Amino acid sequence: MTELVAIGTKVVQGVVVRADPAREPCYEIVHLHHEVPDQGGTSEESRRERLHRETNNEMQSLEVAAICVADFPDAPWELRLELARQCWDEARHTALCDQRFKAIGGRRGQYPIANLDWSVVAMIDSLAGRMAVQHRTFEAGSMEVAQVKIPLWRETDEESAEMFEAIEADEVQHVRFANEWINRLTASEPRTALQIASAVAFLRRVVAATAVIEPHDIATDVAGRQSLGFSSGEIAAVQRQEHELRAFPMRALASERHE
Amino acid sequence: MLTVKERGQFVATMRYIHVWLMETLAGWVPSTPELEVKLLLGEHVWDAAQQADALGKRTFELRLPLQHSVRPTDAYVDLLADIRAVGPTPQRLAAIYDVLLSAMGARYRRYLSATDTLVDAPTVRIVERELADMARMMEACRALRETLPALQLHDDDWRESLRGREAAIEPVVAYADGAVALEA
Repeated sequence: MTELVAIGTKVVQGVVVRADPAREPCYEIVHLHHEVPDQGGTSEESRRERLHRETNNEMQSLEVAAICVADFPDAPWELRLELARQCWDEARHTALCDQRFKAIGGRRGQYPIANLDWSVVAMIDSLAGRMAVQHRTFEAGSMEVAQVKIPLWRETDEESAEMFEAIEADEVQHVRFANEWINRLTASEPRTALQIASAVAFLRRVVAATAVIEPHDIATDVAGRQSLGFSSGEIAAVQRQEHELRAFPMRALASERHE
Repeated sequence: MLTVKERGQFVATMRYIHVWLMETLAGWVPSTPELEVKLLLGEHVWDAAQQADALGKRTFELRLPLQHSVRPTDAYVDLLADIRAVGPTPQRLAAIYDVLLSAMGARYRRYLSATDTLVDAPTVRIVERELADMARMMEACRALRETLPALQLHDDDWRESLRGREAAIEPVVAYADGAVALEA
Protein backbone atom coordinates (compact mmCIF):
# COMPACT_ATOMS: atom_id res chain seq x y z
CA MET A 1 0.00 0.00 0.00
CA THR A 2 1.39 3.40 -0.93
CA GLU A 3 1.17 6.60 1.07
CA LEU A 4 -0.39 8.60 -1.75
CA VAL A 5 -3.27 9.78 0.39
CA ALA A 6 -1.76 11.62 3.32
CA ILE A 7 -4.63 11.35 5.76
CA GLY A 8 -3.68 10.29 9.26
CA THR A 9 -5.59 8.48 11.95
CA LYS A 10 -7.89 9.35 14.83
CA VAL A 11 -9.10 7.49 17.93
CA VAL A 12 -12.82 6.80 18.32
CA GLN A 13 -13.99 5.11 21.50
CA GLY A 14 -10.49 3.75 22.01
CA VAL A 15 -10.12 2.32 18.49
CA VAL A 16 -7.62 3.77 16.00
CA VAL A 17 -9.32 4.47 12.66
CA ARG A 18 -8.51 6.62 9.63
CA ALA A 19 -8.98 10.35 10.15
CA ASP A 20 -11.87 12.04 8.38
CA PRO A 21 -11.65 12.84 4.67
CA ALA A 22 -11.66 16.53 3.75
CA ARG A 23 -15.01 18.28 3.99
CA GLU A 24 -16.18 21.82 3.34
CA PRO A 25 -16.26 24.11 6.39
CA CYS A 26 -20.06 24.18 6.40
CA TYR A 27 -20.15 20.64 7.77
CA GLU A 28 -20.11 19.71 11.44
CA ILE A 29 -18.25 16.40 11.76
CA VAL A 30 -19.26 13.93 14.48
CA HIS A 31 -17.65 10.56 15.07
CA LEU A 32 -20.44 8.09 15.76
CA HIS A 33 -23.49 7.14 13.71
CA HIS A 34 -25.91 7.80 16.55
CA GLU A 35 -24.70 11.41 16.74
CA VAL A 36 -26.18 12.05 13.29
CA PRO A 37 -29.79 13.19 13.65
CA ASP A 38 -32.38 10.63 12.60
CA GLN A 39 -35.89 11.35 13.82
CA GLY A 40 -37.43 8.61 11.62
CA GLY A 41 -40.84 8.84 10.01
CA THR A 42 -41.67 10.41 6.67
CA SER A 43 -41.99 14.10 7.49
CA GLU A 44 -40.27 16.62 5.25
CA GLU A 45 -37.67 17.28 7.94
CA SER A 46 -37.02 13.56 8.30
CA ARG A 47 -36.57 13.18 4.55
CA ARG A 48 -34.11 16.09 4.51
CA GLU A 49 -32.11 14.46 7.29
CA ARG A 50 -31.95 11.19 5.39
CA LEU A 51 -30.98 12.78 2.09
CA HIS A 52 -28.29 14.82 3.81
CA ARG A 53 -26.95 11.67 5.42
CA GLU A 54 -27.21 9.73 2.15
CA THR A 55 -25.27 12.40 0.27
CA ASN A 56 -22.42 11.98 2.72
CA ASN A 57 -22.67 8.19 2.56
CA GLU A 58 -22.33 8.22 -1.21
CA MET A 59 -19.44 10.65 -0.92
CA GLN A 60 -17.72 8.21 1.44
CA SER A 61 -18.30 5.39 -1.06
CA LEU A 62 -16.64 7.54 -3.71
CA GLU A 63 -13.73 8.25 -1.37
CA VAL A 64 -13.31 4.57 -0.46
CA ALA A 65 -13.30 3.46 -4.12
CA ALA A 66 -10.87 6.24 -4.97
CA ILE A 67 -8.44 5.46 -2.18
CA CYS A 68 -8.49 1.81 -3.26
CA VAL A 69 -7.41 2.91 -6.75
CA ALA A 70 -4.69 5.10 -5.27
CA ASP A 71 -3.42 2.75 -2.57
CA PHE A 72 -3.03 -0.47 -4.55
CA PRO A 73 -1.09 0.17 -7.77
CA ASP A 74 -0.16 -3.52 -8.00
CA ALA A 75 -3.75 -4.80 -7.99
CA PRO A 76 -4.87 -6.56 -11.18
CA TRP A 77 -5.63 -4.02 -13.87
CA GLU A 78 -9.15 -5.34 -14.48
CA LEU A 79 -9.97 -4.89 -10.80
CA ARG A 80 -8.59 -1.35 -10.85
CA LEU A 81 -10.86 -0.65 -13.80
CA GLU A 82 -13.88 -1.80 -11.80
CA LEU A 83 -12.91 0.47 -8.90
CA ALA A 84 -12.35 3.40 -11.25
CA ARG A 85 -15.79 2.87 -12.75
CA GLN A 86 -17.21 2.76 -9.22
CA CYS A 87 -15.69 6.19 -8.59
CA TRP A 88 -17.81 7.61 -11.38
CA ASP A 89 -20.94 5.79 -10.19
CA GLU A 90 -20.57 7.03 -6.62
CA ALA A 91 -19.85 10.56 -7.83
CA ARG A 92 -23.13 10.49 -9.78
CA HIS A 93 -24.97 9.11 -6.75
CA THR A 94 -23.60 11.88 -4.57
CA ALA A 95 -24.70 14.48 -7.10
CA LEU A 96 -28.17 12.94 -7.33
CA CYS A 97 -28.67 12.92 -3.56
CA ASP A 98 -27.31 16.44 -3.19
CA GLN A 99 -29.63 17.75 -5.90
CA ARG A 100 -32.64 15.99 -4.40
CA PHE A 101 -31.76 17.26 -0.92
CA LYS A 102 -31.62 20.82 -2.19
CA ALA A 103 -34.85 20.33 -4.17
CA ILE A 104 -36.77 19.64 -0.95
CA GLY A 105 -35.35 22.70 0.76
CA GLY A 106 -32.14 21.39 2.29
CA ARG A 107 -28.99 23.39 2.91
CA ARG A 108 -25.61 21.69 2.78
CA GLY A 109 -24.24 21.36 6.30
CA GLN A 110 -27.69 21.59 7.84
CA TYR A 111 -27.05 18.49 9.98
CA PRO A 112 -23.94 16.89 11.46
CA ILE A 113 -22.30 14.12 9.46
CA ALA A 114 -20.20 11.08 10.43
CA ASN A 115 -17.56 9.42 8.25
CA LEU A 116 -17.19 6.17 10.15
CA ASP A 117 -17.51 3.97 7.05
CA TRP A 118 -14.50 5.71 5.51
CA SER A 119 -12.63 5.65 8.79
CA VAL A 120 -13.04 1.89 9.11
CA VAL A 121 -12.44 0.83 5.49
CA ALA A 122 -9.54 3.16 4.78
CA MET A 123 -7.76 1.81 7.85
CA ILE A 124 -7.66 -1.72 6.41
CA ASP A 125 -4.34 -2.45 4.72
CA SER A 126 -5.42 -5.01 2.09
CA LEU A 127 -7.64 -4.51 -0.93
CA ALA A 128 -9.44 -7.81 -0.37
CA GLY A 129 -10.13 -6.79 3.22
CA ARG A 130 -11.49 -3.44 2.14
CA MET A 131 -13.80 -5.08 -0.40
CA ALA A 132 -14.97 -7.60 2.20
CA VAL A 133 -16.04 -4.77 4.50
CA GLN A 134 -17.11 -2.04 2.07
CA HIS A 135 -18.73 -4.06 -0.71
CA ARG A 136 -19.74 -7.34 0.86
CA THR A 137 -20.80 -6.02 4.26
CA PHE A 138 -21.76 -2.35 3.96
CA GLU A 139 -23.07 -2.21 0.39
CA ALA A 140 -24.71 -5.64 0.33
CA GLY A 141 -26.34 -4.95 3.71
CA SER A 142 -27.55 -1.55 2.58
CA MET A 143 -29.20 -3.09 -0.46
CA GLU A 144 -31.34 -5.26 1.80
CA VAL A 145 -32.27 -2.20 3.82
CA ALA A 146 -33.18 -0.39 0.60
CA GLN A 147 -35.66 -3.11 -0.30
CA VAL A 148 -37.56 -2.19 2.85
CA LYS A 149 -37.03 1.57 2.78
CA ILE A 150 -37.76 2.43 -0.85
CA PRO A 151 -41.48 1.53 -0.58
CA LEU A 152 -41.66 3.84 2.45
CA TRP A 153 -40.10 6.67 0.43
CA ARG A 154 -42.62 6.01 -2.32
CA GLU A 155 -45.50 6.76 0.06
CA THR A 156 -44.48 10.41 0.38
CA ASP A 157 -41.74 11.17 -2.14
CA GLU A 158 -41.95 9.31 -5.43
CA GLU A 159 -39.03 11.22 -6.96
CA SER A 160 -36.62 10.25 -4.20
CA ALA A 161 -37.86 6.65 -4.33
CA GLU A 162 -37.07 6.48 -8.05
CA MET A 163 -33.66 7.98 -7.43
CA PHE A 164 -32.84 5.34 -4.81
CA GLU A 165 -34.03 2.58 -7.14
CA ALA A 166 -31.61 3.82 -9.79
CA ILE A 167 -28.76 4.02 -7.27
CA GLU A 168 -29.39 0.51 -5.98
CA ALA A 169 -29.30 -0.84 -9.54
CA ASP A 170 -25.74 0.52 -9.86
CA GLU A 171 -24.72 -0.84 -6.47
CA VAL A 172 -25.55 -4.39 -7.57
CA GLN A 173 -22.61 -4.36 -9.94
CA HIS A 174 -20.25 -3.12 -7.23
CA VAL A 175 -21.10 -6.01 -4.92
CA ARG A 176 -20.88 -8.47 -7.80
CA PHE A 177 -17.41 -7.42 -8.90
CA ALA A 178 -16.16 -7.46 -5.32
CA ASN A 179 -17.48 -10.98 -4.81
CA GLU A 180 -15.96 -12.14 -8.06
CA TRP A 181 -12.57 -10.63 -7.27
CA ILE A 182 -12.50 -11.80 -3.66
CA ASN A 183 -13.06 -15.33 -4.94
CA ARG A 184 -10.37 -14.98 -7.61
CA LEU A 185 -7.85 -13.45 -5.23
CA THR A 186 -8.53 -16.06 -2.56
CA ALA A 187 -8.10 -18.87 -5.08
CA SER A 188 -4.82 -17.49 -6.38
CA GLU A 189 -3.37 -16.29 -3.10
CA PRO A 190 -4.38 -18.20 0.06
CA ARG A 191 -3.25 -15.42 2.41
CA THR A 192 -6.16 -13.36 1.04
CA ALA A 193 -8.43 -15.34 3.37
CA LEU A 194 -6.36 -14.18 6.33
CA GLN A 195 -6.52 -10.58 5.13
CA ILE A 196 -10.30 -10.81 4.94
CA ALA A 197 -10.55 -12.40 8.38
CA SER A 198 -8.36 -9.65 9.80
CA ALA A 199 -10.49 -6.93 8.17
CA VAL A 200 -13.73 -8.41 9.48
CA ALA A 201 -12.22 -8.77 12.94
CA PHE A 202 -11.27 -5.09 12.82
CA LEU A 203 -14.82 -4.17 11.81
CA ARG A 204 -16.13 -6.16 14.76
CA ARG A 205 -13.82 -4.29 17.12
CA VAL A 206 -15.01 -0.94 15.80
CA VAL A 207 -18.67 -1.92 16.04
CA ALA A 208 -18.22 -3.29 19.53
CA ALA A 209 -16.68 0.01 20.57
CA THR A 210 -19.01 2.39 18.77
CA ALA A 211 -22.44 0.84 18.17
CA VAL A 212 -25.08 1.83 20.66
CA ILE A 213 -27.98 1.14 18.34
CA GLU A 214 -30.33 -1.79 18.29
CA PRO A 215 -29.99 -4.17 15.35
CA HIS A 216 -32.50 -3.64 12.57
CA ASP A 217 -35.01 -6.37 12.04
CA ILE A 218 -34.29 -6.97 8.35
CA ALA A 219 -33.95 -10.56 7.18
CA THR A 220 -31.31 -11.64 4.70
CA ASP A 221 -32.64 -11.52 1.14
CA VAL A 222 -31.48 -14.94 -0.04
CA ALA A 223 -32.48 -14.49 -3.70
CA GLY A 224 -30.99 -11.00 -3.75
CA ARG A 225 -27.70 -12.24 -2.27
CA GLN A 226 -27.54 -15.00 -4.87
CA SER A 227 -27.93 -12.42 -7.64
CA LEU A 228 -25.01 -10.50 -6.13
CA GLY A 229 -22.68 -13.48 -6.46
CA PHE A 230 -22.77 -14.79 -2.88
CA SER A 231 -22.46 -18.58 -2.64
CA SER A 232 -25.01 -20.61 -0.65
CA GLY A 233 -22.38 -21.11 2.06
CA GLU A 234 -21.75 -17.37 2.28
CA ILE A 235 -25.48 -16.64 2.50
CA ALA A 236 -25.81 -19.20 5.30
CA ALA A 237 -22.97 -17.45 7.09
CA VAL A 238 -24.76 -14.10 6.79
CA GLN A 239 -27.91 -15.68 8.20
CA ARG A 240 -25.93 -17.07 11.12
CA GLN A 241 -24.60 -13.60 11.73
CA GLU A 242 -28.16 -12.35 12.04
CA HIS A 243 -28.60 -14.50 15.11
CA GLU A 244 -25.33 -13.26 16.52
CA LEU A 245 -26.52 -9.71 15.99
CA ARG A 246 -28.86 -10.07 18.90
CA ALA A 247 -25.79 -10.04 21.05
CA PHE A 248 -23.44 -8.26 18.70
CA PRO A 249 -24.86 -5.76 16.20
CA MET A 250 -22.35 -5.90 13.36
CA ARG A 251 -24.93 -5.79 10.60
CA ALA A 252 -26.58 -2.86 12.31
CA LEU A 253 -23.67 -0.70 11.24
CA ALA A 254 -24.11 -1.77 7.64
CA SER A 255 -27.87 -1.37 7.80
CA GLU A 256 -27.79 2.08 9.26
CA ARG A 257 -25.33 3.31 6.69
CA HIS A 258 -27.66 3.60 3.71
CA GLU A 259 -30.94 3.82 5.48
CA MET B 1 7.77 6.86 -40.67
CA LEU B 2 7.87 5.89 -37.00
CA THR B 3 9.02 2.33 -36.37
CA VAL B 4 6.90 -0.23 -34.55
CA LYS B 5 9.24 0.11 -31.58
CA GLU B 6 8.92 3.89 -31.51
CA ARG B 7 5.16 3.72 -31.73
CA GLY B 8 5.02 1.10 -29.00
CA GLN B 9 7.26 3.19 -26.73
CA PHE B 10 5.09 6.26 -27.25
CA VAL B 11 1.84 4.42 -26.55
CA ALA B 12 3.29 2.70 -23.47
CA THR B 13 4.66 6.00 -22.16
CA MET B 14 1.33 7.74 -22.60
CA ARG B 15 -0.30 4.80 -20.83
CA TYR B 16 2.04 5.42 -17.88
CA ILE B 17 0.89 9.05 -17.77
CA HIS B 18 -2.81 8.13 -17.94
CA VAL B 19 -2.38 5.58 -15.13
CA TRP B 20 -0.57 8.27 -13.14
CA LEU B 21 -3.49 10.62 -13.85
CA MET B 22 -6.02 8.03 -12.67
CA GLU B 23 -4.09 7.42 -9.44
CA THR B 24 -3.47 11.09 -8.76
CA LEU B 25 -7.07 12.17 -9.26
CA ALA B 26 -8.18 9.22 -7.11
CA GLY B 27 -5.73 10.14 -4.37
CA TRP B 28 -6.99 13.71 -4.37
CA VAL B 29 -10.65 12.74 -3.93
CA PRO B 30 -10.50 12.22 -0.14
CA SER B 31 -8.12 15.11 0.48
CA THR B 32 -10.02 17.75 -1.51
CA PRO B 33 -12.73 19.43 0.56
CA GLU B 34 -15.07 20.81 -2.09
CA LEU B 35 -17.91 18.44 -2.92
CA GLU B 36 -18.21 19.51 -6.55
CA VAL B 37 -14.50 18.98 -7.10
CA LYS B 38 -14.64 15.50 -5.59
CA LEU B 39 -17.36 14.67 -8.08
CA LEU B 40 -15.36 16.07 -10.99
CA LEU B 41 -12.28 14.09 -9.98
CA GLY B 42 -14.32 10.93 -9.40
CA GLU B 43 -15.74 11.07 -12.91
CA HIS B 44 -12.34 11.72 -14.42
CA VAL B 45 -10.73 8.83 -12.56
CA TRP B 46 -12.92 6.63 -14.76
CA ASP B 47 -12.03 8.62 -17.89
CA ALA B 48 -8.32 8.27 -17.20
CA ALA B 49 -8.72 4.55 -16.51
CA GLN B 50 -10.47 3.98 -19.82
CA GLN B 51 -7.83 5.99 -21.66
CA ALA B 52 -5.06 3.93 -20.06
CA ASP B 53 -6.94 0.74 -20.86
CA ALA B 54 -7.28 1.59 -24.56
CA LEU B 55 -3.57 2.39 -24.78
CA GLY B 56 -2.74 -0.79 -22.86
CA LYS B 57 -4.60 -2.91 -25.39
CA ARG B 58 -2.71 -1.19 -28.18
CA THR B 59 0.70 -1.92 -26.60
CA PHE B 60 0.00 -5.62 -27.12
CA GLU B 61 -0.60 -5.00 -30.82
CA LEU B 62 2.73 -3.20 -31.00
CA ARG B 63 4.75 -6.20 -29.79
CA LEU B 64 4.75 -5.20 -26.13
CA PRO B 65 2.95 -6.94 -23.26
CA LEU B 66 -0.74 -6.27 -22.70
CA GLN B 67 -1.37 -3.23 -20.48
CA HIS B 68 2.30 -2.33 -20.59
CA SER B 69 3.64 1.01 -19.35
CA VAL B 70 7.01 2.64 -19.93
CA ARG B 71 8.32 5.19 -17.47
CA PRO B 72 8.84 8.61 -19.12
CA THR B 73 12.10 10.53 -18.92
CA ASP B 74 13.28 11.52 -15.45
CA ALA B 75 12.42 15.19 -15.95
CA TYR B 76 8.83 14.29 -16.75
CA VAL B 77 8.55 11.89 -13.82
CA ASP B 78 9.83 14.67 -11.56
CA LEU B 79 7.21 17.02 -12.97
CA LEU B 80 4.46 14.49 -12.29
CA ALA B 81 5.71 13.98 -8.73
CA ASP B 82 5.65 17.72 -8.09
CA ILE B 83 2.12 18.01 -9.45
CA ARG B 84 0.92 15.15 -7.27
CA ALA B 85 2.28 16.94 -4.21
CA VAL B 86 0.19 20.07 -4.85
CA GLY B 87 -2.29 20.81 -2.03
CA PRO B 88 -4.66 23.74 -2.59
CA THR B 89 -7.62 22.94 -4.82
CA PRO B 90 -7.19 25.87 -7.27
CA GLN B 91 -3.58 24.80 -7.92
CA ARG B 92 -4.58 21.15 -8.29
CA LEU B 93 -7.20 22.04 -10.89
CA ALA B 94 -4.86 24.36 -12.73
CA ALA B 95 -2.04 21.81 -12.79
CA ILE B 96 -4.20 19.08 -14.29
CA TYR B 97 -6.75 20.91 -16.41
CA ASP B 98 -4.85 24.01 -17.52
CA VAL B 99 -1.38 22.54 -17.86
CA LEU B 100 -1.09 18.76 -18.02
CA LEU B 101 -4.13 17.77 -20.10
CA SER B 102 -3.52 20.62 -22.47
CA ALA B 103 0.14 19.64 -22.85
CA MET B 104 -0.73 15.98 -23.33
CA GLY B 105 -3.08 17.08 -26.09
CA ALA B 106 -0.26 18.97 -27.77
CA ARG B 107 2.02 15.94 -27.54
CA TYR B 108 -0.69 13.71 -29.01
CA ARG B 109 -1.17 16.13 -31.91
CA ARG B 110 2.55 16.13 -32.62
CA TYR B 111 2.46 12.35 -32.66
CA LEU B 112 -0.44 12.35 -35.11
CA SER B 113 1.50 14.60 -37.43
CA ALA B 114 4.52 12.30 -37.27
CA THR B 115 2.96 8.88 -37.60
CA ASP B 116 1.65 7.21 -40.74
CA THR B 117 -2.12 7.40 -40.46
CA LEU B 118 -2.64 4.21 -42.45
CA VAL B 119 0.04 2.00 -40.95
CA ASP B 120 -0.72 3.27 -37.44
CA ALA B 121 -4.46 3.78 -37.90
CA PRO B 122 -5.47 1.90 -34.70
CA THR B 123 -3.30 4.21 -32.59
CA VAL B 124 -4.61 7.25 -34.47
CA ARG B 125 -8.17 6.23 -33.69
CA ILE B 126 -7.37 5.81 -29.97
CA VAL B 127 -5.57 9.15 -29.82
CA GLU B 128 -8.42 10.97 -31.57
CA ARG B 129 -10.86 9.59 -28.99
CA GLU B 130 -8.57 10.56 -26.14
CA LEU B 131 -8.22 14.10 -27.48
CA ALA B 132 -12.01 14.41 -27.50
CA ASP B 133 -12.20 12.97 -23.98
CA MET B 134 -9.59 15.33 -22.65
CA ALA B 135 -11.30 18.32 -24.24
CA ARG B 136 -14.52 17.29 -22.45
CA MET B 137 -12.65 16.96 -19.15
CA MET B 138 -11.10 20.42 -19.51
CA GLU B 139 -14.45 21.93 -20.43
CA ALA B 140 -16.05 20.35 -17.35
CA CYS B 141 -13.44 21.99 -15.15
CA ARG B 142 -13.81 25.33 -16.90
CA ALA B 143 -17.59 25.24 -16.36
CA LEU B 144 -17.15 24.29 -12.70
CA ARG B 145 -14.78 27.17 -12.06
CA GLU B 146 -17.19 29.53 -13.75
CA THR B 147 -19.90 28.35 -11.35
CA LEU B 148 -17.61 28.40 -8.31
CA PRO B 149 -15.14 31.28 -8.76
CA ALA B 150 -13.35 30.39 -5.52
CA LEU B 151 -11.81 27.50 -7.45
CA GLN B 152 -10.10 29.87 -9.89
CA LEU B 153 -6.35 30.19 -9.61
CA HIS B 154 -5.36 33.85 -9.62
CA ASP B 155 -1.64 33.19 -9.61
CA ASP B 156 -0.94 33.26 -13.34
CA ASP B 157 2.81 33.13 -12.75
CA TRP B 158 2.50 29.76 -11.01
CA ARG B 159 0.48 28.31 -13.87
CA GLU B 160 2.77 29.75 -16.56
CA SER B 161 5.84 28.50 -14.77
CA LEU B 162 4.45 24.97 -14.66
CA ARG B 163 3.38 25.22 -18.29
CA GLY B 164 6.86 26.34 -19.31
CA ARG B 165 8.49 23.57 -17.33
CA GLU B 166 6.33 20.96 -19.05
CA ALA B 167 6.93 22.38 -22.50
CA ALA B 168 10.69 22.35 -21.96
CA ILE B 169 10.74 18.58 -21.44
CA GLU B 170 11.54 16.92 -24.73
CA PRO B 171 11.37 14.07 -25.30
CA VAL B 172 8.93 12.61 -22.79
CA VAL B 173 9.43 9.14 -24.18
CA ALA B 174 12.54 7.45 -22.89
CA TYR B 175 13.58 5.84 -26.17
CA ALA B 176 17.11 5.17 -24.98
CA ASP B 177 18.13 1.63 -24.17
CA GLY B 178 18.22 2.56 -20.51
CA ALA B 179 14.47 3.16 -20.44
CA VAL B 180 12.78 1.54 -17.47
CA ALA B 181 9.81 -0.59 -18.49
CA LEU B 182 7.09 -1.07 -15.93
CA GLU B 183 4.06 -3.29 -15.78
CA ALA B 184 1.07 -1.30 -14.58
